[in-house]
Amino acid sequence: MEYVQCIYAFFACLGCCLYFNVRSKELFLMPLGGAVGWLAYLLVAPTGNIMFQNFMGTIALSVYSEVMARIRHKPATGYLLVALFPLVPGGGIYYTMEYCISGNTEMFLETGLQTMGIAGVLALGVLLVSSVFRIFSRAARNAG
Amino acid sequence: MEYDRLLQMSLDLGCLLLSSGAEIYRVEESMNRILQAYGVKESDVFAVPNCVYVTITTPEGHCITKFRRILRRFNNLDRVDQANDLCRRLCRDTPELSVAVRQVKAITARPTYNLLTEFAGYALLSFSFTLFWGGTWLDACWGLVCGIFIKSILQLSGKLKAYDFFTNIVASAAVALVATTAVSLGWAVNYDKIIIGALMSLVPGIAITTFMRDIMAGDLMAGLQRLTEGLLVATAIAVGVGLVLMAPRLVWGV
Repeated sequence: MEYVQCIYAFFACLGCCLYFNVRSKELFLMPLGGAVGWLAYLLVAPTGNIMFQNFMGTIALSVYSEVMARIRHKPATGYLLVALFPLVPGGGIYYTMEYCISGNTEMFLETGLQTMGIAGVLALGVLLVSSVFRIFSRAARNAG
Repeated sequence: MEYDRLLQMSLDLGCLLLSSGAEIYRVEESMNRILQAYGVKESDVFAVPNCVYVTITTPEGHCITKFRRILRRFNNLDRVDQANDLCRRLCRDTPELSVAVRQVKAITARPTYNLLTEFAGYALLSFSFTLFWGGTWLDACWGLVCGIFIKSILQLSGKLKAYDFFTNIVASAAVALVATTAVSLGWAVNYDKIIIGALMSLVPGIAITTFMRDIMAGDLMAGLQRLTEGLLVATAIAVGVGLVLMAPRLVWGV
């Protein structure tokens, strides 16, 4: 049952909230974003494309963050900062290093490039959603 | 109108935002808005992650510039939130300067979680991430121990004012040492999962992601600075873990 990972992601994000000095209801809502992102990642797992999975995960958590930021009148950055944690390619960085020291150049390059790619995809997802939200909220303000 | 004090107040607020982990554009925009709300026609703010410059021209045509260096940054989302709120209130109500100054001070005085809770945070993060990356429950318990180690080392290095690069090497080497020892004694199963899980609190994923956002938003200097920072941390982690993993291979040839 891999969906249980979402629960682990939630608690991991909760841990990071504790040392980011997050207060009140955000202590529940911010980690929830991490779980949402990972859920989306798992839901598109049948496609078998890691880049696409990461992209959809980021899109999901960014939309969640932007919506929550507007409902709760808080900066979206906090939500994003916490919720992105599970998608950060920590494993990729580690295995890249491990291939490097064991002298497996081919795998080192492959894993390294993939890790960089994932980081890029995360940034792209966040950027896309926040730009769209920015444009729409400007447009709404101008119309209203 | 006391422009000196106004400048001081807006700079305090901007630095508060920046040192608590707000984005560059938020800092620049907040400061500009406050200055304009208080009647300054011409204001220029330039921020990079470790300093802020601001220049205003008073209606009499007099220029005032201030610059502040930020030496330490901690993510404190409560402060970002409060400072952001205050900025909106100031722009809306433009209270007396002395009131505004007091309100900025009040944010700095807001409580943070005590040390024990912070330790619990690191422990919880490492525990959950070890499980998340596919470790067993036993691994997760070792992850928890590693999390506490990381926080202790960060705490100690903060006291000793050690360089971040060095701190990260020591912290990741300690984690790798604990994990490999636990596995070789048969107390845990996957040392790689423990190391990945525990080091998630140091991994510069956030820095790498925000660097892209800064670059896209046009803050090129800030973006490059964050990229360098992220790469340095990643290198330090790789060196720390690499040293520990490599040592037994060199000595016993396994």
